[in-house]
Amino acid sequence: MTRAVSRVSDGAAERGADRVPERRLSASARPSGGALALLLAQVRAEFVSSLRAPDFVIGVVAIPVLLFLMFGPPNARWTLPEGTRISTMMMPGFGAFGILSLVLFAFGVEIAQERGKGWLRLMRATPVPAWVYLGGKLAMSVLFAIVTLLALFAAGAAFAQVRLEALQWLQVFGVLLAGGVALAPMGFALGFLARPRAASTIGNLVFLPLSFASGFFFPLSQLPAFLRDLAPFLPTYHYGRLIWSSFAPAADITAYTGIEPTGTLVSVGWLVGTFVGFSLLAGWAYRRDRRRDEG
Amino acid sequence: MIVEMRGVEKRYGDVQALAGVDLAVAPGEVVGFLGPNGAGKTTSIRVMLGLTAPTRGEARLFGGAPDRREARGRVGVMLQESGVPTSLRVREVVALFAHYYPYALPVAEVLARAGLEDKAEALVSALSGGQRQRLYFALAIVGDPDLLFLDEPTVALDVEGRRAFWRQVVGFVELGKTVLFTTHHLAEADAVAQRLVVIDKGRIIAEGTPSEVKRRVAARTVRFRAPLDVAALAARPQVQRVDAEPGGLTAVYTSEPEGLLRELFAEGAELRDLTVTDADLEAAFVALTGERGVAA
Repeated sequence: MTRAVSRVSDGAAERGADRVPERRLSASARPSGGALALLLAQVRAEFVSSLRAPDFVIGVVAIPVLLFLMFGPPNARWTLPEGTRISTMMMPGFGAFGILSLVLFAFGVEIAQERGKGWLRLMRATPVPAWVYLGGKLAMSVLFAIVTLLALFAAGAAFAQVRLEALQWLQVFGVLLAGGVALAPMGFALGFLARPRAASTIGNLVFLPLSFASGFFFPLSQLPAFLRDLAPFLPTYHYGRLIWSSFAPAADITAYTGIEPTGTLVSVGWLVGTFVGFSLLAGWAYRRDRRRDEG
Repeated sequence: MIVEMRGVEKRYGDVQALAGVDLAVAPGEVVGFLGPNGAGKTTSIRVMLGLTAPTRGEARLFGGAPDRREARGRVGVMLQESGVPTSLRVREVVALFAHYYPYALPVAEVLARAGLEDKAEALVSALSGGQRQRLYFALAIVGDPDLLFLDEPTVALDVEGRRAFWRQVVGFVELGKTVLFTTHHLAEADAVAQRLVVIDKGRIIAEGTPSEVKRRVAARTVRFRAPLDVAALAARPQVQRVDAEPGGLTAVYTSEPEGLLRELFAEGAELRDLTVTDADLEAAFVALTGERGVAA
């Protein structure tokens, strides 16, 4: 935080201290109750306000499930060399697609638009630290991600013959969520970098090609060769690789993607690097936005 | 002192927004910041709030740095160009904002003070401009602040809305609170403020009670029709300013109408439709800043 006071001499501080006016609380004022209550209120407000935007719910929850229902069941009869069904590989692919859309739209575009509307400006004049705002967005997105994944898993089991062990279900669920949190700073960076009106366009420009080139829609092995050369340089491809590794044999992943494995550690490294790199970028963009707002 | 500014300068690139502002606001005061657009009113508020750091000088809020959380917790603000999530209900936004402050007033009381009881369940997106302004007022007072900053709070309101708004502010002042507001509606500054601070080009050019400010400058407006040379009139020592008004009237802003008229009559001037009126703040303001067309 920038200090607005350029320099306070000790004398001035003492003079100021004995003249500090007392708090004048109204009779009806009450303590508002702690950081946890604040965070809960923030998350609830985010959740409620997102639920009321039908385009948001449809875009984030319904579209991945619907797309999977279109492409998953017809591919359930094909299996990879070690026996994994194509539909089983596609299901978490569409999950990753949905979570990427949460990252870019629920964070990125929403933040950019709320910046444009001046809500952040008003919040900055209150005692609330910025992390409450970002934490509220993150928690809300995790909630929506859980809903999306549960719907997708149910659709997979019911209509696309997805059969996994209990532990595998849990693992794929956990990797999808954890990887989503690792990608979240991409959204924060977009939210604070993009001009409010441009954010949605930029979000779409990043989102669709990235999902496609990471093999979230169709197996990379079926796509043009240059995409297979490009994919290992995309953090989202490594996200997908980790997701598939949580339940499928390595040979099946190689067959499905058409890309030789680079190792779990490399993929984890890519996600950690993305998290750190975009966090730094988002922090810089946040400070730049605040400075601009300060003039 | 609740607010103190000492020698505050603020420079944006080549623009000197504040050029040395000194100000102290004591508990319980209602202070109006008055000036044309671009005079430095909003910048002053932002410096006092710690939203902007001064280029030089010092601002203190409750005896310390303005941006510390303890100070922020005692301040309520209505900013220009602020927004709230439009898919929340009025009650939800106020209840959420209550959590932002260490102490809060009951939501029902806040809605009543802001005149929003019957809009409690309305979505923010369904509010009119005036209702939205009342919501911002509700958000400004929900933390039971000791100090309210209102930056051009009535800019979107009609006359009736303004009157109702200031009644709500006065209701809050009666709780022993301090209010600092900016406006370029001179009449409402005159009616509401105990003290006026007139700012122009980043400097405070007059300060005092509304009547003091009026007395210090052109206290009277003399209007008449006469074939007199405007430039020659303006050159007289008692005259602050002369305007040729529509309809052939000449308006002379002066602090000594009697002396001026005595001279004019002695010179044999024929003044028709002569009136002498108390200068309203607007006239006082025109004489002070030497600018026209300040009021909306």
